[in-house]
Amino acid sequence: MKKLLALILTLAMALSLAACGGNGSGSEDGGSNAGSDSGSGEATKMTLILRAGAYGDALKAGLADFEAEHNVEIEVQELSFDDLHTGIALDAVNSTGAYDLCMVDGSWMAEFTENGVLANLSAMGYSFDDDIIQATTDICMVGDDIYLAPFFGNVTVMMYNKQLIADAGYAPEDITTFEDLRDIAQKTHDAGKTGFLIRGGSADNIVSDFIPHLLVHGGWVVDENNQPTVNTDEFKAAMQEYLDLYALGGTMDKDDIVAAIDGGTAALGQAWPGWYVPSADTAASYTVIPTKLNDADTEKNTSMYGVWCIGIPNNAPHKDLALALLQHVMSAEVQLASIEVGGVPCRYSCLLDDDVLSTYPQYETVCAALESGVYRPVIAEWTQFTNILGTEMDNIIQGTKTIDQGLADAQSQLEDLMA
Amino acid sequence: MRRNEIRKLGSASAQTKRFGICMISPTVLLLLIMTAYPLVFTLIYSFTDYNYLKGTDNASFILFDNYIKLFKNDYFRQAVGNTIKFTILAVLLEMGLGLLIAVFIHSLKRAQKIMRTLLLLPYLLPAVTVALSWRMMLSSNYGIINQFLTSLGLPCYNWFLDTKTAFGAILLIDVWQNVPFVFLLLFASLQSVPEGQYEAARIDGADALHQFWYITIPNIKNSLALCALLRTIDTFRLFEKVNVLTGGGPAGTTSTITQYLYNYGIKSLDFGFGSAGAIVMTLLVLILSSFYIKRAMG
Repeated sequence: MKKLLALILTLAMALSLAACGGNGSGSEDGGSNAGSDSGSGEATKMTLILRAGAYGDALKAGLADFEAEHNVEIEVQELSFDDLHTGIALDAVNSTGAYDLCMVDGSWMAEFTENGVLANLSAMGYSFDDDIIQATTDICMVGDDIYLAPFFGNVTVMMYNKQLIADAGYAPEDITTFEDLRDIAQKTHDAGKTGFLIRGGSADNIVSDFIPHLLVHGGWVVDENNQPTVNTDEFKAAMQEYLDLYALGGTMDKDDIVAAIDGGTAALGQAWPGWYVPSADTAASYTVIPTKLNDADTEKNTSMYGVWCIGIPNNAPHKDLALALLQHVMSAEVQLASIEVGGVPCRYSCLLDDDVLSTYPQYETVCAALESGVYRPVIAEWTQFTNILGTEMDNIIQGTKTIDQGLADAQSQLEDLMA
Repeated sequence: MRRNEIRKLGSASAQTKRFGICMISPTVLLLLIMTAYPLVFTLIYSFTDYNYLKGTDNASFILFDNYIKLFKNDYFRQAVGNTIKFTILAVLLEMGLGLLIAVFIHSLKRAQKIMRTLLLLPYLLPAVTVALSWRMMLSSNYGIINQFLTSLGLPCYNWFLDTKTAFGAILLIDVWQNVPFVFLLLFASLQSVPEGQYEAARIDGADALHQFWYITIPNIKNSLALCALLRTIDTFRLFEKVNVLTGGGPAGTTSTITQYLYNYGIKSLDFGFGSAGAIVMTLLVLILSSFYIKRAMG
């Protein structure tokens, strides 16, 4: 009896295993039969991995036409900054990947190209046209080869509450120096409101938002040999100025910064265009980050790029279709349409379009910032670099370390990292 | 005749043994594949400089370098301290509150079922949903809790970005979500305490506190130990709430071991270093849980 029972159970287990492992002749193409589906009439399935929020929304807005035109069905995965980086990287080691198109932050470029994650778009026949703001394409290339296309012109801007800066005696065009920022923050603080907000949270947030302040003091995070330079006089002066502004406000996450400035409880805060879409009726808007410390100072580039680029993974299952899709979403027509859903194109024809500017005048500001932005260092260790630097800066901001102590600790750890 | 019977019995016993082995072998095989295999590879990787994108071909053995780097790292030590502090506080609070609620609900004559269902709700929610809901409620701009404090004339707090409040806020959220688990286990255990023991105690003049201490606790002590073990292991692995709400900040005050490993191992794809951290964490959980495991096994 027991033998019979054991036999039945074994057979049942074998059958279930066979059932689980079956279906090898499904519709998975698994190869590079891009666009070869028209004969069967069955739509090809493409998968995109994108940054969640306005960045992904802007790209999704241009997919419907492409799906109809090429008989494809597009599935989109929208992830947070860190999850997107991990998601692309984890899939990169598979011989055939899961994603046809990916959204890439410029700061990952060195790491991804060094390890062969991205396909060479030049070799696939892609090139930039003159309408794309040239400076935004620098991060997309290694030598003469294009690996990415600048899709969403993210660049740091200064968000302000219209009423509160007016109360402080300023018009947006009057904010030209960091002294002006401090003056507005001080007056707003004296009036019982929040002067200046800085973004807390991840180490990357802290470093990214601080960089404009460092640039205006003439500092930088690495030297020409990519060795860390965070324990310098310029860095210390920038950190002190940042702490002075922090004393007139506070630290919040992205959503709270937008809510506070839009709601009229805070005057100023550094922001990215994807966070907020201002119009003539909104309480807040943004302007370029000042380029000088004071009136006597010389102008510097202080806007930092956070351009969201798109690329094709080297192991994409449908490379040819992916290239067609990349060209489609990078076209001036689709980019112009993306503005309606909060997109920020990197094209002159879109940013300076008369109709666009009449509704969204801030795009002129964005265009100016995109022409003269600064990229984060193109180093493969950037993720670890920001982890270390951001954590030490957080310690300084929270008062658990002095500027000297925090920056000295950061410098020694970064030297170990870059050795 | 007798020898024949003994041989038959021996053969039956061997058959039963074989049948038993046959029945448990799929489970053992599955456990080996799902648990032992990853654990062995994690241990091997922890002695290498394996970077995920560079691949195992480019990884080399660096012996104990990852472990030395780990123990020398101030942030890791801070994360270990935070994790232990958080685990002790969370398990104590969850056990205490869970037991109190279980005893209270057990003593109810009516509405037991509805109360049990309502109390379970927080535990049914995914950790990320819980974290996001609490982030909205504790927002310094539009959060209901700060609005309530303001209406009472009390100061507003930036709960997750202030070194004084961030740890406590996450502790509160974790306790809120996991008390129902403790409650459920202990409530089930309370059902099995013989009513006769209480009756005898009452006849002997024992008050409620004495009944609780000398009857309830001894009868549910195994469940208490199991609950504490499960909650210790689970709390030690705390990740989602910290990652969503603070990312380990401000100034590392909420950084846990898992968050540290995510920041310095997974995000940077430095899987060798991450594996070393994971091994250390496994050992710490084993040490912390050894008391309960010993009790459960012996």
